[in-house]
Amino acid sequence: MRLNTRNGITRQVMAAGLAGVLLLGACSSSGSSGSSGGSTDKALLIARSMDINSLDPSRSYCDTCQIFMTSVYETLIGLDKDNTTLVPRLASKWESNPAQTEFTFTLDPKAKFADGSAVTSADVKFSWERLHGLQASSSYLVSTIKSIDTPDAQTVKVTLSQANSAFLAQVNASYLGIMNSKVAIANGATIDPATDKAEPWFLANSAGSGQFTLASYQSGAELRLKRNDSYWGKKANFPEVVMKQTADAVTQRQQLEAGSVDIAMQISNDAAKGMNGKDVVVSQVPSYNFVYLAISPGAKGGEKLTPKVREAIRLGLDYKGLIDATVGGAGQAQASPIPNGFAGTAGLAAPAQDLAKAKSLLAEEGVTSLTLDATFPSLNVYGVDFTTAMQKVQTDLKAIGITLELNPVEISVWADKIGKDGIPVTMLYFAPDHTDSSQYVQYFGLLEASQWQTWARTDVSQSETDTLSKAFAEQDATKRAEIYNQLAKAMISDSVIIPVVNPNLFLAARSDIKGLYYSACCNLNISDLSRG
Amino acid sequence: MKRYLARRMAVMPFLLFGIASIVFLVSRMTPGDPLVTIVGERNLNNPEIVAAAKAQWGLDQSMPQQYASFMKNLVKGNLGTSFSTRQPVMHDLWERLPATLELTIYALLGGVTVGIVLGVLAARHRNKFIDHVSRFFALIGSSLPAFWAGLLLLYVFYARLGWLPGPGRIDPRGLAPNKVTGFYTVDSLLQGDFGLFKDSVMHLILPATVLGWGVVGIVSRLVRASLLDEFSMDYVRVARAMGLRERTVVNTHALRNALLPTITIVAFTFAFLLTGAVLTETVFSWPGVGSYAVNASRTLDYPAIIGVTLLGGTAFLLTNLISDIAYAFADPRIRLS
Repeated sequence: MRLNTRNGITRQVMAAGLAGVLLLGACSSSGSSGSSGGSTDKALLIARSMDINSLDPSRSYCDTCQIFMTSVYETLIGLDKDNTTLVPRLASKWESNPAQTEFTFTLDPKAKFADGSAVTSADVKFSWERLHGLQASSSYLVSTIKSIDTPDAQTVKVTLSQANSAFLAQVNASYLGIMNSKVAIANGATIDPATDKAEPWFLANSAGSGQFTLASYQSGAELRLKRNDSYWGKKANFPEVVMKQTADAVTQRQQLEAGSVDIAMQISNDAAKGMNGKDVVVSQVPSYNFVYLAISPGAKGGEKLTPKVREAIRLGLDYKGLIDATVGGAGQAQASPIPNGFAGTAGLAAPAQDLAKAKSLLAEEGVTSLTLDATFPSLNVYGVDFTTAMQKVQTDLKAIGITLELNPVEISVWADKIGKDGIPVTMLYFAPDHTDSSQYVQYFGLLEASQWQTWARTDVSQSETDTLSKAFAEQDATKRAEIYNQLAKAMISDSVIIPVVNPNLFLAARSDIKGLYYSACCNLNISDLSRG
Repeated sequence: MKRYLARRMAVMPFLLFGIASIVFLVSRMTPGDPLVTIVGERNLNNPEIVAAAKAQWGLDQSMPQQYASFMKNLVKGNLGTSFSTRQPVMHDLWERLPATLELTIYALLGGVTVGIVLGVLAARHRNKFIDHVSRFFALIGSSLPAFWAGLLLLYVFYARLGWLPGPGRIDPRGLAPNKVTGFYTVDSLLQGDFGLFKDSVMHLILPATVLGWGVVGIVSRLVRASLLDEFSMDYVRVARAMGLRERTVVNTHALRNALLPTITIVAFTFAFLLTGAVLTETVFSWPGVGSYAVNASRTLDYPAIIGVTLLGGTAFLLTNLISDIAYAFADPRIRLS
């Protein structure tokens, strides 16, 4: 069949195209940007590279989720600005038995959800049982809960399967926020993963008691919170909080300097240079985040990584050089897998390079040259580019006769490889979920089936297991710190996990934003922010 | 023509099923563990959490079972749920596609228009100053990495001069218009908000320029080369010999024929940009399909990978069809049967 050219249609198409171009051109010359009719002038705007995996309180698990959860779903216990002191939140008081197996919380009778209904013990029971039942990423935080009793609407009695002096700190973790059980159940929430259907609802709605409620969420674009005007405590200082997806630090800086946002959350050392001015305030504070090198003697190709060889690797690293290379000096050296400032780290000597001793240890083991696979996830976390860090590690270890074959890969590929064969030398990062040191021992210590005991394929350390049990049973904070100090030294001696940099955190905000600080539990606590 | 269209449309679902099957198999054979996206690297050795995640996402089934389940859902128009966003992939694409389409259409409109004008000027002034300027401009547009050009333009026009707004589709304090088409420039007008319309257009300028600049490079060189070929044809000599004005010879006669190859290029560029404007979308925080595609591939988000691939495949098939039809309209000698 032959098609005839229809001049009419062609003209119409051309006219439409021309109109589009003219429209664009006309508007292009109209000057600076305007704000929309629906602008929210006093909203708090935050530029952030968001890593949200879910907004379902029982499934969310990410840095951005901590901010969201803290703002929308309150925990029973809060954390003061000193990042140490636990303060009342939904619970007005709490107590535990001497054996650290029973914890009783008394809820504040004034506490209300955003819909005006009272926060009751039934809501706490449902929230934690759902967190446990769904077996999502943060479920491990409630894994020791044996039963939750609710003798009355205001009392929650938790019985644990084993002593756990860290439980109060875990209760403070943002992931243990409390949801309105009636609303959640009405929208498909159950404690059984086979029947639970609420996650899609939680991506568009919220059911918490916090200062904010979820207004909207568009993946990869923005998270919008609105003030809970019926909040039972001091109301939020901002009518709205908008978190805008901004992938890179340079653009975050530009947005902050242009006044397009109030806070930029992931300013790197490079981006922060020359940034202080009359409109923008930048400060850097030590963080609890760190990047570490992990040595796996049980990995394929890691057979020669004996304790002495691992110690030689630890002594072969130039820690100051690593901090300079990765974050331009804006960081700290960290002695053990428990980060500086956590219980048990006082008095630990900062790691230092000792090439002579490293070479001597290698000689004792008869290692003159060693080539190791160093597959690592190609990440840039907390301003640390893993490739840069690994290149520096490679250079340092070359000096003691160890050759690393660097192999940067996507994290999904890395996960597959470390799960199957293990990786002799790799790099990863860690940020705390709560304020107790136990999380580091449970993750990095050579305990039965701990994350790194499994990945490193090492023998289990009964000593570390027993010492952690002692810490869990110890009520006294000072004595617990001493026990954690022993564990920190044991993990240093293991030389399986070698922290390479504890980067500082850059707090960058417009000068009229007050109350900005780094929170160990919650990342950014919006409730403390105001515009001055 | 109707039979031709019907035949092409009838074949399309089979092609898409083929694409889906290949992508399904390739994604499953790619080394990598998608569980790291679902449970996080911290929980990969927690057997309860891993088992629950596998059961929830169907990863505990054998490959044939997963394939059968996938195909069954696909027939119903269900592409599954993204591991990363926890939303149905159809929802994600539906939410992001308008952003990409809007950016791509404006970039193409600008790029093709400027490209044709430059190509014509370069051909008419072959080997003269304007031809060299055009070549230089085209070379820059074709060779500048989008992320670099984007960052540079943002630095100059947003951060330094303050003439244009920064990343995003609208001012960060603004509210998106009520969704009708998903094109902010259209929806803002439909709700009578001219401030928002102006804001959304202003936000389009820099990313559309970055994307469109590459198109300018391709189109201008193609038009120049085609026009020079046409200039050597007898009908152009005849037209000139008859005393027609040069503008009439070029615009009315030669250009029309010279634009034929451009149609194909524009069509394929359009289809490519629907899923390939990754860097521009990332630099400008543009919540489109490109950034979704990259995240899906990095995290081995199987449903999202297949969804994006099917979208790209559909776009290529449709634009191919449209370009064939456009050929017939542009050149009456071409028959479609």
